[in-house]
Amino acid sequence: MTVVHGPRPTAVPTRRLLPRTLALLAVLLASVVLAVGLGSVFIPPGEVLGALWRGLLSLGSSAELSGNDVIVWQIRLPRVVMGLVVGACLSVCGGAFQGVFRSPLADPYLLGVASGGALGATVGIVAGWPRSSIPLSALAFALAAVGTTLALSREGRRFPPTRLILAGVVVGSVLSAFTTFLILRGEDRARQVLAYTLGDLGFSGWRDVVTVLPYAVVGCGVLMALARALDTLQLGDLTARSLGVPVERLRLLVVVAASAATAAAVAYVGIIGFVGLVVPHLVRLVWGAGHRVLLPISALAGAALLVLADLLSRTTILSQVGVVTTLLGGPFFLWLLARGRSD
Amino acid sequence: MKTAFVSTILTAVLALSASASATTYPISITDDLGRKVTLKAEPKRVISVLPSTTETLCAIGACDKLVGIDDYSDFPQQVTKLPKVGGLYNPNIEAIVALKPDVVIVSQYGKLAEPLTQAGITVIAINPETYDEVFSKTLLLGRLVNREAQAKALVLKMRQDIARIEILTKNVVKKPTAYYEIDPTPYSIGPNSFMGVLLTKAGARNIIPASMGDFPKVDPEFIVKANPQLILGVDAKTVAARAGWNTTAAVKSGRVLSLPAGLDTILSRPGPRLPAALRGLAKLVHPELFR
Repeated sequence: MTVVHGPRPTAVPTRRLLPRTLALLAVLLASVVLAVGLGSVFIPPGEVLGALWRGLLSLGSSAELSGNDVIVWQIRLPRVVMGLVVGACLSVCGGAFQGVFRSPLADPYLLGVASGGALGATVGIVAGWPRSSIPLSALAFALAAVGTTLALSREGRRFPPTRLILAGVVVGSVLSAFTTFLILRGEDRARQVLAYTLGDLGFSGWRDVVTVLPYAVVGCGVLMALARALDTLQLGDLTARSLGVPVERLRLLVVVAASAATAAAVAYVGIIGFVGLVVPHLVRLVWGAGHRVLLPISALAGAALLVLADLLSRTTILSQVGVVTTLLGGPFFLWLLARGRSD
Repeated sequence: MKTAFVSTILTAVLALSASASATTYPISITDDLGRKVTLKAEPKRVISVLPSTTETLCAIGACDKLVGIDDYSDFPQQVTKLPKVGGLYNPNIEAIVALKPDVVIVSQYGKLAEPLTQAGITVIAINPETYDEVFSKTLLLGRLVNREAQAKALVLKMRQDIARIEILTKNVVKKPTAYYEIDPTPYSIGPNSFMGVLLTKAGARNIIPASMGDFPKVDPEFIVKANPQLILGVDAKTVAARAGWNTTAAVKSGRVLSLPAGLDTILSRPGPRLPAALRGLAKLVHPELFR
């Protein structure tokens, strides 16, 4: 056997993992049920179920939905699914970035994806492009931003983490300066840009979900497949290399996979902050730091957090999902942190 | 007929009394930033940093007092040659100071007031936000620049023009329910906002209730549920691409209208072109009345 077993620095016994995971699954299920059942328009539970059923039937036929069925099937459900996908995706990418850079401050936006996406969207909004082309512009700019970061930080065939982080910060700042410049030039559209920057799931339809899903599945799939190598990497580059982990290739693969997934998410729902940074930490406190558990559990927790946050954003005056994720996740994280200290 | 007669008399009365009512300086007012400001004498050199203020000043015969305007002021034609001093949020303070204005009229937004006051320049913040404030602030500007009679006459003329349109729209039997999108986030307008009042006066029934506020961010499912008969401020293609919106009455009957470029501008300026804005809006809501 030459398989390298990753260390589990804060290993949690398996018998204690299961109840916690079941509890998380229950929370996730409850959030989905609540999010599909509630909204700015009240629809009785029976009707919601009927709408879901008729929606499923309409997939095969050309039957037209009407009334509340349209709201549940074409507006609310895709929004919830988009929340699940993006929440899971951001959290997995955040966890992988924190692992690959061995930095607790890393989040999926570290290498300039968000600033690139924001600039792409702002260019489109200020230039008055049709709304449907804004995500494409955001996606192109987001990927170009990460490409630039990679190109700038390259040292021969290596991508040293410190250089990557520094290049990412600089690329992000420069792009943000361009965005600010454009916002000031096109003053009357400032709110649109701001709303995008704070993240919004409002107009996510099935078509958007289907567009984002492949990026998310492939990106997060690759990251989860690399979990064992990420565990080994926590011992340091040298040790990992001596244990047979191709450190440079691993780093590049994680960056590319996470960035592609994040770029797609940012392009379609804007920059939803905090989820990718805090969910992995939260999961680490409860489930331990091994990436084979951390990444899948982060996906579940992130999905639940974003769906709940979006539900609050459309039913309360906190109308931006990014604001809610922070207000919801922040105190909970601090509570966990304080609890951990007293143990 | 009766309204027209009464207003003619009013105009005459006002014109008579106007000659007697010159502003006496110094004049002190509390501006929209809540500051007490005093003008010692009639201002001869005025800078306006708000397009609607520029329009109002010109409409009350004070255009020749303007020595500088913001980047967005572009009406009437004669102001376009004046020096530009930047915008509210990126003002060129040095240029403003160099123009040696007697008074700079700003809005309550932006942060021009403090640096200019420190530079020894009189700054007054005036920006109408509600429908009624358009008239009261016009009168206030008239007093400040010694054009009180002209301001009164302008307000009267505006009210007349608006009444002429309202006579048509008020008695329409079928008033369409309408959703007015001010930006595709989507944000809309409440019935008590400046544009909301105009929408109602144009003969539409706003789907946004007053309880949602003046500029609410709206959940798309709320709009689909409200099923408006008219969608304004966004083009048909964008609306058709939104999930579920093709079930609304507006889309089915092809009543999704983006605003013509000129109308968009005057609707966003609470100034003397208010009647023109209302007329443009009423034409969109009730084309049958304006054949």
